Amino acid sequence: MEKISQLMDGELGEHESRLQIRRLEQDGELVQAWATYHLIRDVLRDEAGIGAGFAQHVCERLQHEPAVVAPYTRGIARAVRHTLPLAAAVAGVAIVGWLALTPPPPAVKAPSLMTESAPLAVSKEAPRAVPRPLAPADGQMNEYLLAHQEYSPTTAMQGVASYVRTVSNEDPDSSR
Amino acid sequence: MTRTTFRLFPGLVLLHLCAGAALAETLQEAEAKEWLNKIANAARQLNYAGTFVYQHGDHVETCRITHFVDRGGEYEKLETLDGPKREIIRNNDEILTFDAEHKILKRERRTPRNSFPALLPDQLVHLTDHYQLRKGDLARIAGYYAQALVLEPRDAFRYGHKLWADVASGLLLKARMLDEKGQVVEQSVFTQLVIGSAVTRESVRPSFDPQDPHLRREFQGPDSAARADTGWTVSNQPAGFRKIIEMKRFKAGTQAPVAHLVYSDGLAAVSIFIEPLPAGGKVQEGPMRQGAVNIYVRPLPDQLVTALGEAPALTVMQMANSVTPRGQ
Repeated sequence: MEKISQLMDGELGEHESRLQIRRLEQDGELVQAWATYHLIRDVLRDEAGIGAGFAQHVCERLQHEPAVVAPYTRGIARAVRHTLPLAAAVAGVAIVGWLALTPPPPAVKAPSLMTESAPLAVSKEAPRAVPRPLAPADGQMNEYLLAHQEYSPTTAMQGVASYVRTVSNEDPDSSR
Repeated sequence: MTRTTFRLFPGLVLLHLCAGAALAETLQEAEAKEWLNKIANAARQLNYAGTFVYQHGDHVETCRITHFVDRGGEYEKLETLDGPKREIIRNNDEILTFDAEHKILKRERRTPRNSFPALLPDQLVHLTDHYQLRKGDLARIAGYYAQALVLEPRDAFRYGHKLWADVASGLLLKARMLDEKGQVVEQSVFTQLVIGSAVTRESVRPSFDPQDPHLRREFQGPDSAARADTGWTVSNQPAGFRKIIEMKRFKAGTQAPVAHLVYSDGLAAVSIFIEPLPAGGKVQEGPMRQGAVNIYVRPLPDQLVTALGEAPALTVMQMANSVTPRGQ
């Protein structure tokens, strides 16, 4: 799932991107994640034209995809149709939670499902900075983090809220 | 945009001087500093309870925070609302961390808090050397009117910050940390908030039973940290990072103390931990991250250096790489 997220962010090299796209073609669950990630991100970035015509718009665009990528997009289209109720629910939650947020415009245009050259665009993109792995999930860093936060000026301003970094559950699987 | 601004900065200053606007600029900064003080005081002195959303990268999570002060001191509670339940309870100098999933209760005790609030005003003096401070627009957040404050870093060794404080009380309603491209590294914002008498001592009690016999307890002694000369130093920290404290910590289950040094530029802080290499234990080396905190682990011949902080990976790595015994 993390790979899919990296693919979306254009962080994978050409070979790895192709590999992940092949996985996407075969795994319905991954396609769901892919679609949901995009929707969430679009909502966060306030980009999405989410409304009554959103689903129809997506399906229309997909039908006009050129034949060369048709096997791939048909899979996506089917998945998007199945995913939409779920995605809409996620978007609903996100909108409620994020109403107060107005993130800045994205500096990097991410590959979009609706662009016909999307898979190519992904693979052509040079890998960005080497992603740093997450700290071990056994919480061995938490002790250091707790000790650190006691002396960090951000704690002075945010109080115990800055400890959210310690309790945050960043399990890639939990974002499904 | 920020890069260009920095390159043009001396020119801009000159222009401002010519236009007689230098004084106004200073007033802006003074006012922004006053707001930072107000924020720090509000965080400690107000009773409040609210739900906030925390985001870093594509990760989004909701938490509930409660803060209560009376003559007995300061009580705080932070609980995660998504995923496995985790809870942090802070009663003055004691911190309880409860992990419902693994049924673990940890307790840490601090020597009486000597770092705050004294730290902030002192650090504020140098803040403008490394950040450009200004007041932003007024906004409305969780039903409160908020004053925005912008802290733009003058180099790539620290993140930028945008803070929104409640106009009436100074409480921080929203905080955003930005990288050099202006991308959000981390962000938290209240979506619901109550300030004042509705918050009681009851609201900060743990939701779990600390006496539960099924919990695994990891309790530390009363003196888990003490100010001391550790014999270590960082020789090549980025400009503006000054050592604010140096201490020895005692970890549960280990004999040898861990050296802990904290460096800060007034806003960002990086902690350096130095301890004997764990016997036979494999450690994950190199850069990693936990949320927006960057971590760098580097083994020395017989010691292990762990550097971490809410600063760019470059800053954390540079500091980890320049840890040396003092006097060498």
